[in-house]
Amino acid sequence: MTTTTTTPIFTIGAEGIDTAKLVEEIRQAVAEKTAAGRYADARIARAERMNLVNLKNEEEFIDFYLAGLQDAIFVDINDFEIVERRARLGSLLVALKKTIWKLLKFYTYRLWSQQNLVNGLLLSALETTEHRHRTRIKDLEARIAGLEKEIRNPKSEIRNKSEFPNE
Amino acid sequence: MPPPRKIAFVSPRFPEGATIGGAETLLRTLAGYAVAAGLDVTFLTTCARNHFTWANEVPPGTRTIDGIRVHFFPVDSDRDIESFLRVQERISRGTKVTLDDEMLWLKNNVNSAALINHLKTEGATYERIIIGPYLFGLTYFAAAVDPRRTVLVPCLHDEAFAYLESFASMFRDARTIMFNSAPERDLAARLFGEPMEKMPVVGMGIPPFDAAPDAFARQNKLTTPYVIYSGRREPLKGTPLLLAYLDTFRQRTQRQIKLVLTGSGQIEPPPSLAPHIVDLGFVDEPTKRNAMAGALAFCHPSVNESFGIVLLESFMAGTPGLVHAGSAVLQHQCRASNGGLWFRNYPEFEESLSLLCDQPDLRRALGAAGRRYVQSEFAPPRITEKLLTALAG
Repeated sequence: MTTTTTTPIFTIGAEGIDTAKLVEEIRQAVAEKTAAGRYADARIARAERMNLVNLKNEEEFIDFYLAGLQDAIFVDINDFEIVERRARLGSLLVALKKTIWKLLKFYTYRLWSQQNLVNGLLLSALETTEHRHRTRIKDLEARIAGLEKEIRNPKSEIRNKSEFPNE
Repeated sequence: MPPPRKIAFVSPRFPEGATIGGAETLLRTLAGYAVAAGLDVTFLTTCARNHFTWANEVPPGTRTIDGIRVHFFPVDSDRDIESFLRVQERISRGTKVTLDDEMLWLKNNVNSAALINHLKTEGATYERIIIGPYLFGLTYFAAAVDPRRTVLVPCLHDEAFAYLESFASMFRDARTIMFNSAPERDLAARLFGEPMEKMPVVGMGIPPFDAAPDAFARQNKLTTPYVIYSGRREPLKGTPLLLAYLDTFRQRTQRQIKLVLTGSGQIEPPPSLAPHIVDLGFVDEPTKRNAMAGALAFCHPSVNESFGIVLLESFMAGTPGLVHAGSAVLQHQCRASNGGLWFRNYPEFEESLSLLCDQPDLRRALGAAGRRYVQSEFAPPRITEKLLTALAG
């Protein structure tokens, strides 16, 4: 488990504090560290689930989780650099690991490719269904609002009746 | 216009002894200012104390408490809780409900027919009826008795309930709407479009006090720094977020930081954080103030606040705030005072708290700025003056 240490990046004296500026600097620092991967951490993702701002209404809630899914569904199947921390027999161990990887690569590649395909298809299906339901609910809400307006507005009722005198 | 002589306050609960919600504390405090200013004040409330059960715990009748004449009325017992919860769940999920459903929700909300009857028969004797907070059936029906005399103290939040048509009509019809902060008023202006003259910002006074920053840690044998939160612990107040963030912060930074909690409500901390929480429950004011004064920061993770009493108290104790940026009000208090920082997500929380840990000079300067702000903006005589002006309107 990795730990992080935050080096102080701000030097503020006792006089003339501008918290808005300070918060802006904090956000810039966060943006830089995020780009450097310092906040790519499953523990943060778990904690962030409690952030009510992301869950203010149903649509935002679903958008938030769909965005999370989009970030997470594809397993990285690219090749990677094989290294060895131990200095003693280092090059030998690297060669051994490379050989093992060459033997396994074909199988894992097939496996993870299929998994990525399934994940992608499932997410697409979920997004399509969600979009369809969202549009349908919006249409129904607009229709209910229109009907409510008609019920509350007797003038329109009279007008409707006069427009159709025989009904 | 001179201020009225005889007024009534209406609130679902009356805070007595241990702190009840912020809105009720606000109304009681304002009632106290009105008594001190020589007004004839009656406080109409229910016999309930617990905001989950709404059981009638206080005997009905009239008592004089700190110069305020308080009438306790029983809460109606014929609520259809099932219908209430069914509609409430839909509203809180942001689903549009019909006017009939809104009314069903209001009728089965917390109500007191006895209190409403009192207002119907005696209401004309009160020149102003100050009613709040907005989110209760009792408030809605009390405000409907005589809107021309009604002064709303809504304690408004940007939440699904604020968008109900019933509340829009209540805001439109009220004579005056008193707000606790400028962002709360801005929200109402956006939602209801009422003229600014009708919507004064009054707030609540924070009495000045001095606290001993080392006393709390000494008494509780705390040797590591701590952050503090005071108030109700529930999801809408953001306490699960605070627990999750602090646990993550401890794991990622390996900093030995504790969390001190005062107030009511259950918490379910992650097992890795549980040994590092000092949960005091209800404490007396001097203990709370000393605990605030010794903290690294007062962390307020709520996004639903209309004033932030405890944040301002921590400013008065000389402690900086660390608040959720999603609360326009808390962010405003930190920004206007230069007494606190605000975060939108975990990375900003980690950066901000690390900064407060590493830079004691900055922490002290933020704390001092917050204290100056509260002393100048929320001195009780100043708030009394604003209250009397608002009631005269």
